Amino acid sequence: MFNCVSCVLITSLPNFPSFFTSCHSDLTTNTYTPWLAFSLRSTSSGLHNDRLLATHCLAPILAMTLSRSPSPHPGGGWSSPGLVPASGITSPNGPSPGSLSPDTPGTISWAAAKAKSDEVRGYPSFTTRNSGFFSRQRHKIWTRFSSFRKLSPREYVDKDDYGREWKSAGGGRGLLGTFRIPIRRGRFRLMFALFLVWVGYLCFWATIVQTYRRSPIGGGSKFVIILASNVEGGVMEWKGAREWAIERNSIWNKKRYAKKWGYELELANLLAKKRYSHEWRESWEKGDVIREAMLKYPDAEWFWWLDLNTWVMEYDTSLQHHLFNDLESHVYRDITAYNPLNITHPLPEFWLDELGRALEGDGEADSLNMLLTQDCVGFNLGSFFLRRSLWTERLLDVWWDPVMYEQMHMEWEHKEQDALEYIYQSQPWVRSSVGFLPQRSINSFPPGACGDGDNPVVHYQQNAHDLVVNMAGCMFGRDCWSEIYYYRELSNWLGRSGWERFRDALGDAYDRVPGKAKHD
Amino acid sequence: MQFALPPRRSPHPLPLSRSSRMSSYRRKQLKSVAVLAFAILSLLYLLHYLSSSASTSVAAPAGTSGVVLVTLLDWQRFSESYLKKIVANREDYAKRHGYTNFFASVSDYDDAVGDAPMSWAVAPAIRHAMATHPRSAYFFHLATNALIMNPTKSLKSHILEKGRLEDLMMKDVPIVPPDSIIKTFAHQTEKDVDLIITQDSENLNPGSFILKNGEFARFFLDVWFDPLYRNYNFAKAETHGLDHIMQWHPTVLARTALVPQRILSSYSNSSPGASSDGTYKDGDLVIQFHGCDDEEGNRDCAHELDPYYKLWEKKTQTD
Repeated sequence: MFNCVSCVLITSLPNFPSFFTSCHSDLTTNTYTPWLAFSLRSTSSGLHNDRLLATHCLAPILAMTLSRSPSPHPGGGWSSPGLVPASGITSPNGPSPGSLSPDTPGTISWAAAKAKSDEVRGYPSFTTRNSGFFSRQRHKIWTRFSSFRKLSPREYVDKDDYGREWKSAGGGRGLLGTFRIPIRRGRFRLMFALFLVWVGYLCFWATIVQTYRRSPIGGGSKFVIILASNVEGGVMEWKGAREWAIERNSIWNKKRYAKKWGYELELANLLAKKRYSHEWRESWEKGDVIREAMLKYPDAEWFWWLDLNTWVMEYDTSLQHHLFNDLESHVYRDITAYNPLNITHPLPEFWLDELGRALEGDGEADSLNMLLTQDCVGFNLGSFFLRRSLWTERLLDVWWDPVMYEQMHMEWEHKEQDALEYIYQSQPWVRSSVGFLPQRSINSFPPGACGDGDNPVVHYQQNAHDLVVNMAGCMFGRDCWSEIYYYRELSNWLGRSGWERFRDALGDAYDRVPGKAKHD
Repeated sequence: MQFALPPRRSPHPLPLSRSSRMSSYRRKQLKSVAVLAFAILSLLYLLHYLSSSASTSVAAPAGTSGVVLVTLLDWQRFSESYLKKIVANREDYAKRHGYTNFFASVSDYDDAVGDAPMSWAVAPAIRHAMATHPRSAYFFHLATNALIMNPTKSLKSHILEKGRLEDLMMKDVPIVPPDSIIKTFAHQTEKDVDLIITQDSENLNPGSFILKNGEFARFFLDVWFDPLYRNYNFAKAETHGLDHIMQWHPTVLARTALVPQRILSSYSNSSPGASSDGTYKDGDLVIQFHGCDDEEGNRDCAHELDPYYKLWEKKTQTD
């Protein structure tokens, strides 16, 4: 009964308060839990553990006069024979985003990292606080009570909050008065039944809809969102309050979207692992994570990779409606339509078959196995789709290869992204299954992410209600958290319910009453 | 339970009022229409099911049949008389069993191969053969240093027949002998196979293999022919390239069957490096003068070929 009442109270103002209370509890309960990351599901698989042992040195390109490629060794690992022994000690110069801390490029050693982590362990553990049940739950309970005490969202205080200047000013008062409906005695039972139906609707309707969407008929279980989280795991750089805020906000955002449409959400823990570190590289992390997700969700068909610094703006737009019900019309396969990399297409080789030389593959939506976007410099893997298929298995298999990596690791600054660009260009079998989406359909950039301009092909358009914003490259000289915060608030504001719009408009009108502004 | 509103109609409509009015003829008609509709619907469903399963299968496209013999002729390294013998050998075999021949000149693929050794031309050549004969099921690549010695043996009865490959497949065997830790899959079955190949005592032998038409073939050939492999300076060019992808890419290995060397590529006595029981014995399908065209030039393919060619000629005449 308690639940039901709270449910009624919360949902009686459609959407807005319920969202805010849930948001509130989600965000504030996590405020005190910097150890959230440790409870994130660990995704290490042991797939390649057997290759872990041998050290390997990365060859400068000059040293590549090998008699043959190295075979895997018993006991694991792969080594490049014929290399100068010292070549593995020095890291290559030049930036290698993500893997090295920017202030000391190329000089991070294992010993230094260990010293840093020792330093961390030097602090007394803060997990001993809040150990009792009540003290753990007290805050939650209090949050819940206080959330109905102050239903007005204007009173809601968010720890992650600052600056709301773009929002329309003015606050709504509690406009819901108490109405007395005169009830005739004979109609009482009817009214009561209607009331029960209404209560039932408020309590269960969302659950019923979500259950339907998750079911095979609803089709939601065909999609898995893979969210990259805990990037580097705070190993290379200390994770500060902003990083934690990005983390929990981004996860909360995808959770809400996935829950609404019945999609699965897989949090990929991209903790810095030795086997993905520069000189141990045994695979591309993205590929491994997607493979694991494919094993974990055997019924899912499409896997949507999202970087951590992304924001789903439109909760009301389902993927089916947005893309997959009519994939053909959204996708372009002829890369010459937008070709920043200047890739030769279609392939001119006379010895290829028609499919290999086709401009648009076979033209069937069924053969599309990868959907991605191109930004202003080339492929962008911040947000892309892979479909479960033989083709995808093969792509994930050949994506990383020791012989290719050895030759190209200095040039492939963006790792798997560059590798994919390379494979797309050099191996004809890949092309017919890759479909390109207009960038803004799943991967809008904020202003400044692609040059200084504000190209409407690339950058987020508020009026067009773009689905996803990707703060690509925000860690290089921009402020990830303020961007995410901005788009979070913008998304909330764009997604107001009719009631909220009405109230905002009323507030605006009230503010515009002559003389009112002076008193404020 | 009490309803808020009284029901409008009696819950029991007159049960026989309608059907009594329906004539038996009409009832029969309706029945046949229903049966017909059901049959059509189930047929449509069946067709849909079949077509959807066909699109996901990895087998050769429906309607494919036949075998194409792919031979790459290097007019610069081999004398014309030698290559004519090889061509005659292939043409005879193809004619006997209704196979198609695809002869390609190595120089056609100069641009594709680039700076790498010309032996890499095998990959684009088979791709070319597949483009030329898209409806053929199997592509049998046989290098110019090999001769078909048992022309009466068809590939079907020798390898491709149902159940035959199952007996021949070497499972759980190191791919690159003798001690590679990557072995062929132990649980692989005949229907998982798209590539049939042999190994000698050191490497896989790309001088003689059978590739099934289909998506795997395209994938396999494109990966094998990747420019970064060609530029890697593998000592044995495409052979080591093949060893490499087979060991590092399980999706390739999963569709590959190793068969005993004498099934597809028995080595002649003068060719070193045969696997145990890999040397030519009378009755084998193929003899390969492996390494006779090496850069060192110690051996002469034409000279080695001669006695076996005469033997083959004698066989074709008696048959």
